[in-house]
Amino acid sequence: MSMRLLNVCVLILLVVAAIMVYEIKFESTLRAERVAKMRADVRRERDAIAALRAEWSALENPARVQGLVRRHMPLGPAQPTQFDSLDRLPARPPTVVKPPREDAIATMIENPDFTPPTGSVFAPGRFDAR
Amino acid sequence: MESPAQTGSQSAAAPSAEPWRRRFMRTMLYGRNVDRAAKAKARVGLAIAGFSVLYAIIAVRLVMFAVVPESNIARRTVTKDAVATARPDILDRNGMILATDVRTPSLFAEPRRIIDVDEAVELLTAVVPDLDSNELRDRISTRRGFAWLKREITAKQQQDIWRLGLPGVGFLSENKRVYPNHAEVSHLIGHVNIDNQGIAGIEKWLDGRGLAALHMAGLAADRLQRPVNLAVDLRVQHALRDELIFAAEKFKVKAAAGLIVDVDTGEIVSMVSLPDYDPNSPKQANDPLRINRLTTGVFELGSTFKALTTAMALDSGKINLNSTFDARGSLRYGKFNISDYKGKNRVLTVPEIFIYSSNIGTAKMALALGVEHHKWFLKKLGQLDRLRTELPESAEPLVPKKWGELNTVTIAFGHGLSIAPLQAVAGINALVNGGLLIPPTFLKRSKEEARAIAKQVVKPETSDKMRYLMRLNAERGTSTRAEVKGYYVGGKTGTSEKVVNGRYARNKLLTTFTAILPADKPRYQILIMLDEPQGLKETHGYATSGWNAAPTAGRVIARVAPMLGIEPRFDLPPADQLILARVRP
Repeated sequence: MSMRLLNVCVLILLVVAAIMVYEIKFESTLRAERVAKMRADVRRERDAIAALRAEWSALENPARVQGLVRRHMPLGPAQPTQFDSLDRLPARPPTVVKPPREDAIATMIENPDFTPPTGSVFAPGRFDAR
Repeated sequence: MESPAQTGSQSAAAPSAEPWRRRFMRTMLYGRNVDRAAKAKARVGLAIAGFSVLYAIIAVRLVMFAVVPESNIARRTVTKDAVATARPDILDRNGMILATDVRTPSLFAEPRRIIDVDEAVELLTAVVPDLDSNELRDRISTRRGFAWLKREITAKQQQDIWRLGLPGVGFLSENKRVYPNHAEVSHLIGHVNIDNQGIAGIEKWLDGRGLAALHMAGLAADRLQRPVNLAVDLRVQHALRDELIFAAEKFKVKAAAGLIVDVDTGEIVSMVSLPDYDPNSPKQANDPLRINRLTTGVFELGSTFKALTTAMALDSGKINLNSTFDARGSLRYGKFNISDYKGKNRVLTVPEIFIYSSNIGTAKMALALGVEHHKWFLKKLGQLDRLRTELPESAEPLVPKKWGELNTVTIAFGHGLSIAPLQAVAGINALVNGGLLIPPTFLKRSKEEARAIAKQVVKPETSDKMRYLMRLNAERGTSTRAEVKGYYVGGKTGTSEKVVNGRYARNKLLTTFTAILPADKPRYQILIMLDEPQGLKETHGYATSGWNAAPTAGRVIARVAPMLGIEPRFDLPPADQLILARVRP
């Protein structure tokens, strides 16, 4: 009796195992196909990128750009006198503060803490501190 | 069904008392007197053995599937690529593309499967007009299995041929080499043939590095090869070529060439030789006029060579900047008479000899040191041996077989020894970069790598003096027209007469100009070479180097210096102070 039960169990296990193996096999075939397809896609994309890059570099070819610039823009080659170093850059020109329209003296009387804008300029050195 | 009572009675009668039908079957299957038990045992054994073998085979196959990767699956998609000839991209030093692969379809036929040859010929020539109908007919009339009809057709043509619905005609996609910059870098990178094999320039060098073997094995189908970075800068290359074309038209030259080399690393930043060709249509390259004059041509470089002679004199220690040589009249040597072009007719110091480009003075300097010393020095600077670079093309210098005093006299000022211009540039590099001879290269190279392979050929002090002399020349010598304010250019002109029918022709000149930039601490050397420039009204009819090659170099420098990262400086001392400051400590 127990022998028969064992046999039945083994039989069921066998069937289950066969189904699982089939599933795995099927899955792996599907995946392999997907991988192959993706590889082909990647390849095609890479080829497309290469073609576009080739076109891009043909478009930014210096001779072509030079021809376009000569035709459409008033630019010329940079002269040596047009270069300078950063530390010789002059400081930013001072900003002029406009005096307010209303009566400054009246405001001062009403409000002792108020320092009126005088229309004078900032010293160049003080600029960074602000 | 037999009843139990019946069975019992029969078994007692005889052991063989089976029903007759069963007995009959047994007799038919096993024979009359066989021991069934023994036979069954043997049979089970046989079955065990058979299944063991079967399972062993399955196990082995499983292991094989597991060990060998899924190459079969991957390969299936690549079958459409007939020829595995992918090449790595070639980039310039900033990563701009100089050469790349683009996939294009090619048309082939399987003649065996073509039904109506006439119809196929007619339809195909209608779609692809540049197919020759007779040749096409010959190709598809055979009984072969495969024939190329047209390599590299356009996508539109492919579509049209699809629409024709011809049997026995198909497409394979192939890698086609594309040079988006056309003629700009032609001589440098070379070109490939229809099978994507490099046949000139850097392309051929790539094949020599094992790419050809990859192609043979059919393994180079993929695009994933590492791109090759060259030392050339496309922008500089364009600027140089543009200025050379300008000069070529202005001075009506037969050929022009230019070279820009990094003095410290030997990297060739730009190389142009006009007339050049478009590598996309390499047929032009077979024209002998379009050779690369800088590496495959050898020339007598004229006075440019005086820089080498002067450096030799200063490096020997026997002659210094204050030595004087008599440059009066002319130097008679056998039946030869050597004179100066617009000679000063007086005793000249070494700097004066250099800046007035005195033939007599330079010859006397070389003679003072002797023939052997001269030969030894030029050999040391690599001027007498073939210079090899990555480019497969190179030329052997034409060295006189018997080198006597007369040869030393003429070679001192650049006649009688023909060398490749690139070779001279490598030599002069050593004179201005502190005395290191560095073999020029088309690939990127760092200063450290360059120093590792460099050879000290002249003393650093000599190098300082040469910088001074070249700067002096740009300030008041023959090279003043090359001066660009702010870049502190130094240089040496060279004008040589070309040999026509074994004689020097007075009106056929080869002018060269070698510039260093900036002269106080050179970073780049620039060579300009013009073949047979004509005198113009604005040059007062002169066609010597100072009137054409030198101003061309000036224009090139003004354009390329900002690209090369050289800052203009306007607070620089004149050349005399340059040498005083150097010599004092």
